[in-house]
Formats: sequence, structure tokens, C-alpha cells
Amino acid sequence: MANEKWAGTTYGNEWMHKWLICLLRYIDTRILYLFVAVFIIPVCLVLNPSRGIAYRYFRKRIGYGRLKSAWKTYVNHCLFGQVVVDKFAMYAGKKFNIEIEGQEHFLELATREEGFLLLSAHIGNYEIAGYTLTSKAKRLNALVFAGEKASVMRNRDKMFADTNTNMIAISPDMSHLFEIDQALQVGEIVSMPGDRFNGSTKCIEHNFLGAKAKFPLGPFSVATLRGLDVLAVNVMKTSLTSYKIYVTPLHYDKEASRQGQIKQLSGAYVAELEKRVRQYPTQWYNYFEFWQE
Amino acid sequence: MEQLIKDLKLQIKNALNLEELPLEEFDENAPLFGDEGIGLDSIDILEIIVLLEKEYGIRLANPKEGKAIFQSVKTIAEYVQANRKK
Repeated sequence: MANEKWAGTTYGNEWMHKWLICLLRYIDTRILYLFVAVFIIPVCLVLNPSRGIAYRYFRKRIGYGRLKSAWKTYVNHCLFGQVVVDKFAMYAGKKFNIEIEGQEHFLELATREEGFLLLSAHIGNYEIAGYTLTSKAKRLNALVFAGEKASVMRNRDKMFADTNTNMIAISPDMSHLFEIDQALQVGEIVSMPGDRFNGSTKCIEHNFLGAKAKFPLGPFSVATLRGLDVLAVNVMKTSLTSYKIYVTPLHYDKEASRQGQIKQLSGAYVAELEKRVRQYPTQWYNYFEFWQE
Repeated sequence: MEQLIKDLKLQIKNALNLEELPLEEFDENAPLFGDEGIGLDSIDILEIIVLLEKEYGIRLANPKEGKAIFQSVKTIAEYVQANRKK
């Protein structure tokens, strides 16, 4: 639960964000990638504790040797820089090639009367899915950090305006819980991350990439409370200008005991997450001590 | 009202698996959240929301009311008494 240290907000101030969006309207994204890789990432690696966290992840969880882990730590930070640039490039109107695997699962659930849950993770670039994986028939409610920079929220609102998407900000008065519940009651879609703690500290432990890790209980509790269908959605960067969205149904026995359902569902989520992380090991962006070691 | 409070205590205890909390020590005025009270957290709120819907036919209309309603078992009971459909 070291994520208590996580600020939950995009780095930089509003002025920097506006400047970046403006810049991205006129220059090729690749120029910014190069600038970030050469000038920003080396500084970040010197100053930021994420260096050690990422290195240990590659060394212990992925099993790379020392040199390879050091190199992949640099690559991982460069890719993180790229997905942040891509987010602002989208705000600036740039388009990416998006391939979707398993879209039929989303479309099928979207035709049903009941609501359903999308569980994401801090790998790849989930924000891309918000603009692509939407339904005209059902509103998508995305749970977001309330303290996000106003510039990011404004741009999100602008991007989501035509996509039947609503933002639910995590609030200290717990009103977001009622909004989530109401959305699900009226058959809408709710999207939330399944790998970080938001408010509640209750957790469920799973073996993940070879060691014990704690996952938030909340998303799995919400799903099983109403016997909802759940899809894991992971959006991975596949090239400089392309992303691939993986939509995977997470199965659990809805007749099992409540605790059994939570265990099965969270286990399915963790298995899917492990599969994607092994497939794209350099796109893991949880820069805190995720494992209990 | 007394019976309703008693029922709610039992229902909340069962729904949230509060096995370590004997019913006689479950104070209806104790804050449900925070270290000084029962110590529930935001996930538990959702369980109680569904409980109120199933047992009393109550659907909370205004999310902003939530914090006031879920202060204690007594405040929940007052809300249930005023809004119950069954």
C-alpha cells in the first residue's frame, strides 16, 4: 500500500500543460519523444526514486540480469514519457492507430440492460481507451482522481464530450460511491483501476509475478455486490503511433459465496494483468513498492 | 424505532462480517467511520447502500446526502424510517 505516497495527478503545472498541447499542434510527436529520452529521463532517473523501484521490478519480478534491468529501467521511463506525451498529443488533436482485441465482449455487454464494470491498470495508456471503447447505448462513467490538474480535466471533458462518457471524481465526502452505485443501478458502465487503492485500504492478496502483492478490494467488492459482468481493459503501446486495446472477460461463479466470488474475480484480474505485463514488461508504471518483500 | 435500530445493527453486522463486534457493544450513536467509532470505510458504505435497497426498498437519490445519512446506525435508522418503501 505504498501508493499512499502517490500524488494521483499528472506531473507539471497548468502552464506547462497548455504549452505542451500548443507545441504538439505544430511539431511531430517523435521530436518530443527524443527530447524527453535525451534530456528529461536521465535527469528523472538521477533524481527520482522510481529508478530503484523499476530496476528491482525488472530484476526480481521479470528476472532480467543487472545490465538488462538497468537498460530496461531507462526504456521503461522513456515509454512512460511517451504515453504522457501521447495523452497531451490527443488533447492537441493528434490521432493514433488503435487496434482492439476482444471488442465483441464490450459490444455484447453494452447491448444488455444491466450495467457492467471495466477494470483497468496502470500499464500502457488507459486514457486512450476512453476515446475508443465507448457505447452510444450506455454511458461510461470513469472514476478519476479528484486532485487532477484543471488543465487535464478540462481537456478530458473536451475529448469525452462526444463519447457518452462521464467523469466521477473520487471525493472525500464519499459521494463518488453513490454515483458509482447509481450508474450501475441504471445499467451504465463504470470504469476504475483495479491495481491502486482509492479511499479504502481494504485489500486482497494475490501471487503476482512470483511474489505476494496487495490489490484493492473495492473494485471486486463493487462488482460482486450486484453480480456484475466485468471486463479487464488494458491499452498497450505497440509502436510510436499505435496502441492495442485488450478487452478480456473476467469470469467468476456468481453462485459462490461472496468471499469466494471476490477471490475468483480478483484472481482472474491478476492473472490477466500478469499476462499483459509479461507480454509488455516495459509498460509497467506503478512506481511504488508493489510487492511485499 | 428501537426495533429498527436493532434490526439494522444485526443486518450491518452480518453484511460486513463484523464478527469481532458483539451486538450489545454495537452503539447506535457511535460514528461508523474513523478510528473512534466502528471503523468502517468507503467499501462498507456500498454494502450498506445495497442492504438498504434490498431490505427497505430505499434508493438514495442524492449522493451528497450520503455522508450525513451514514454517520451512525441511528442516523441510518432515522433515514430508513422516513423513506422506507417496505
